Amino acid sequence: MKKTINIFIAIFIIILLTTGCGENKNKESKENTTYTFSYNNKNLVLGEEFKKEEIGEPLDYSEVASCAFEGLDKTYTYEHFELTTFPDGEKDKIYSIYFLDNEITTNEGIKIGDTKEDLISKYGDNYQQEDNLYAYKIDKTSLKFIIEDNSIISIEYSYDA
Amino acid sequence: MKYTKSILIIIIFILLFCLLNQLVKPKYSETLREGSLTREYYKETKNHEVIFLGDCEVYANFSPMVLYEEAGITSYVRGNSQQLINQSYYILKETLKYEIPKVVVFNVNSMREDENQKNEAYNRLILDDMKWSQEKINLINTSMTSEENFLSYIFPILRYHSRFSKLTSEDFTYLFKNKTNSFNGFLVNKNIKPYTSFPTKKTLANYTFKSENYEYLQKITDLCKENNIKLILIKAPSLYPYWYDEYEEQIKDFALKNNINYYNLLDMKDLIGLDYQTDTYDGGLHLNLYGATKLSKYFANILKENYNLTDYRNNKEVSNIYNQKLKDYNKLIKEVNL
Repeated sequence: MKKTINIFIAIFIIILLTTGCGENKNKESKENTTYTFSYNNKNLVLGEEFKKEEIGEPLDYSEVASCAFEGLDKTYTYEHFELTTFPDGEKDKIYSIYFLDNEITTNEGIKIGDTKEDLISKYGDNYQQEDNLYAYKIDKTSLKFIIEDNSIISIEYSYDA
Repeated sequence: MKYTKSILIIIIFILLFCLLNQLVKPKYSETLREGSLTREYYKETKNHEVIFLGDCEVYANFSPMVLYEEAGITSYVRGNSQQLINQSYYILKETLKYEIPKVVVFNVNSMREDENQKNEAYNRLILDDMKWSQEKINLINTSMTSEENFLSYIFPILRYHSRFSKLTSEDFTYLFKNKTNSFNGFLVNKNIKPYTSFPTKKTLANYTFKSENYEYLQKITDLCKENNIKLILIKAPSLYPYWYDEYEEQIKDFALKNNINYYNLLDMKDLIGLDYQTDTYDGGLHLNLYGATKLSKYFANILKENYNLTDYRNNKEVSNIYNQKLKDYNKLIKEVNL
């Protein structure tokens, strides 16, 4: 009977140890390589803390609260792009950068209005395509292009938080 | 004697295990009130002629107390935060085990979701206090994120053991009892945060609802038909996330093909009298008490005029229950700053 109790307790401990609690999933250390967008000579790194003072005041600012949890997704609108952050503890980290016009380019030189050939010449053909969305991925970051009639109509950097 | 002692040890171990499970599980009483919505349904008298189904756009926007006060309609909101359409389907299936309403009102916002639940926390809000049933098992299986496992829904301690060091007085106060936070599934929020702006309306690569969402919308439609329930589709008047014209067309097509009435209440916001400077608690995502009251009054009249519902204000048994609820509701909204 003592043996049975020991087995019983052992099974419980094994289950406890082998079952992930999932609470610290967002606290994983970030990998080194991500997509980066430069503005005003500052690098905006996806998944890194956003320091507004480094790139200046936005033209507009909005907040979106989650349904039940604390913390806000914050969106800063600059002249040519919109930057959204997500809360991670005390910090606001960069979640996405969305181009608003063709006045800015990616660090590799692609802008809205360029062709699919321009895109492939800069980024290669190692993209994931879904309908007219072309996504290049590095680790937890994506650079997404939407192409219509061979013209890029949307550019967005995003982070898989 | 030896065996008796061993059995006693096992029983004590099991009891202790159950107690620890209950202790570490979030109580959803004083904090994260949204997690109490699923369990509160079980305590209700099951005589509702209308069931609202959907995400936060139903539990924040529709007040069954106002529907009763305005038109004598008995209703319940079976909505949860980020409740996806597959989850709404199983919640509806579960509801039909308890009662068969005359009307189900489904908010179509979740049709635009293109992925399964990404945030485990929302699954927990819906499922932690759901009664065990085949529907719950199916719901867990269709909802789990890749990091979750089924066993942790059976034994919460496997998921929440790290809460041992974060226990608060709420965990002890509500160890063996629960606090009721909603009025028939409606969560009162009196805060005011005016609309200012939202992020840019982004260009999407694909506006077509994913096929799995259509499958579940069809399942909800079929389930209602099988049970002789009138299904109504609505889009609640939340300004964000954006409801694209392409979404609107797809819902209209579906409604037409399936002979379902569809009301885009976002388009009716002026008729309803909504003022997003005073009627929202988070800048236009959800309505506050004042906005929900306006919307519920407006929708009560749509239901009253078109769906042959009973005016229970003349039914002594039901009106006794609802008048008491109304008394509590009015007291709460006058006295408590929620």
